[in-house]
Amino acid sequence: MNSIRLRLLKWLVGPILVFNLGAAALTYLLAWTPAQLAFDDGLRAAAGALAARVRAEGLGLLDAGRAPDDSAGEASWAALHDADGRLLAGSAALPYLSTLRGSGLRDAELHGEPVRIASAALEWQGERATISIARTVRARQQVRSAIVRSLVLLEGVFSLALVGLAWFSVGNGLAPLARLRARLDARGSADLAPLDDSQMPRELAPVVGAFNALLGRIEAGARAQDEFRANVAHQLRTPLAGLKLQLEWLAARHASDPDSARSLALMLQANERLIRQTNQLLSLERAEPNRFARSRLLPVDLAELVAESIQHFVEQAAAKDIDLGFELEAAPLQGDRFMLRDLVDNLVDNALRYTPAGGRVTVACGASPGGGSFLRVEDNGPGIPANLRSQVFERFVRLDQQSTGSGLGLAIVRDIANLHGADLSLGEPEGSSGAVFRIEFP
Amino acid sequence: MHILLVEDDAVLADGLARTLQAQGMRVEVARDGLQADTLLQRAPPLVAVLDIGLPGIDGFEVVRRLRARGDATPVLLLTARDAVEDRVRGLETGADDYLVKPFATPELVARIRALARRNAPKSTILALGNIVLDSGARRARVGERPLELSVREWAVLEYLLQHAGRVVSKQQIVDAIAPWGEDLTLNAVEVYVSRLRLKLDGAGVSLRTIRGFGYLLEAGA
Repeated sequence: MNSIRLRLLKWLVGPILVFNLGAAALTYLLAWTPAQLAFDDGLRAAAGALAARVRAEGLGLLDAGRAPDDSAGEASWAALHDADGRLLAGSAALPYLSTLRGSGLRDAELHGEPVRIASAALEWQGERATISIARTVRARQQVRSAIVRSLVLLEGVFSLALVGLAWFSVGNGLAPLARLRARLDARGSADLAPLDDSQMPRELAPVVGAFNALLGRIEAGARAQDEFRANVAHQLRTPLAGLKLQLEWLAARHASDPDSARSLALMLQANERLIRQTNQLLSLERAEPNRFARSRLLPVDLAELVAESIQHFVEQAAAKDIDLGFELEAAPLQGDRFMLRDLVDNLVDNALRYTPAGGRVTVACGASPGGGSFLRVEDNGPGIPANLRSQVFERFVRLDQQSTGSGLGLAIVRDIANLHGADLSLGEPEGSSGAVFRIEFP
Repeated sequence: MHILLVEDDAVLADGLARTLQAQGMRVEVARDGLQADTLLQRAPPLVAVLDIGLPGIDGFEVVRRLRARGDATPVLLLTARDAVEDRVRGLETGADDYLVKPFATPELVARIRALARRNAPKSTILALGNIVLDSGARRARVGERPLELSVREWAVLEYLLQHAGRVVSKQQIVDAIAPWGEDLTLNAVEVYVSRLRLKLDGAGVSLRTIRGFGYLLEAGA
């Protein structure tokens, strides 16, 4: 894994541990060597003393093969060899150790136990002889293990403390990164505003700077795309308006000629569709999350918004002989007036479009019992089967292939509801067919 | 009714001019902002209908100059851009109303009429279909038949005629005809309207009820 934390820890903790191990080895040597020398001195002194006693008391002293009155807790053996290494007295298990070479000290194993052997020169019956004494190393081992135990404990605690400190420092040093990430995570999916780099550590500032530059380019790109789409849609509006008026004029003149009237009515319908889809493209663009600024939300009343669009609805309903009714109570909320009007337009248009001629559509709004406001659009059309209800809010989904909808209306409704943090649900009226769209604003 | 129409798109200008003429308006057409500015000074219309995106000087600038001269001619702005800024700027500049293209023709006509009424010398006669309401002489008739109306019925019909072609809410009617906090309920409005409906039989108008909201009075049976 490529992690700054791991890399830092590797380069901090690794050397700390190696250094501690070295320090422990050195401490061990420093503690153990003098102890070893002291033990050896004692053993050599014991060899010297035994030599003196043998000279004074004779070889009988060594008959048992044991060194007399030696240190408590240790087993020891003794032997006397002549200059050629022949055993004169004492334990046969002891190897001959010439005093002529080396320190006169060596390690060996005797009767299955490690021992340290020291020897001393001795004049015996005019011959040169060597007396050796072998002593078990139990006390030495105890001392050594005491040293090792202390060192392990000390160095262990030390190492843990240092590793902990390194861990903490690395974590602390990396905290600005974590904070940066948290700030990025907390952003809305379309928030392209530059990051505030005033609080950034010097090391992160270039990264944040580069990131902000990238954000800026992305935002400029998104804006150019939005503007292009909006421009195209806006450019279409004037010719569409002109075409509509010309067609209306022509239709009024040819009302008495059924063939012409029919053809003109179809042209007008097609023109209305073009107009509607152009408007929907603009609504979609307005509902783009990256164009949405929470700061633009102002107090609005849904009842007023519906009333502002009523003229248009009434004409559309009259054309299909639909009984369009309203139950408007004050429904205050924080919202974007233009988007909410798009939402109302599309929801009502959807109901009028999918309700058969002679049907009934009711638009209601008001304060919700649990706080917040609601908007409800109810029709007595065919309704939407429960298993298709989740699909109708997707773009370009049309349940009825014969209809002239663009498949964008309800997607616009959903986008705008989402931007306002509102809950959008689709059900059916109690005891009859039809669809009920309900939006709960917080 | 003299209307100045300023629109650079030839197809739309032609369609608008013919539509408004069919409504009995006298329409003068200008193609750019400077021409509009000149015409506004030379022969002030009853209402000016101004596109925002004009060659030369734009619609905002035309309105700004108009208001700078202290001219109160009502202005209806037409815009292809419905951006928030445009709307706000439009009304802050001194325009009286705006419509986003493409618009519903009856709505355009209704709005122009509303602005014209504001500007016209108080005409005492309102007419729609076969109805003629003369508030000066306090006489109303349907065709040749005199119309007997109570004071309230008169007020409601007058309000509906003033807003012909536009949906009006019951509350708007209450506010308009009982302005001094007189006790007038929405139900009472319903009663007056249903009486009017009977009396206006054969008047060549349709008085439609918008369930739960209000009414729409239009020409045509």
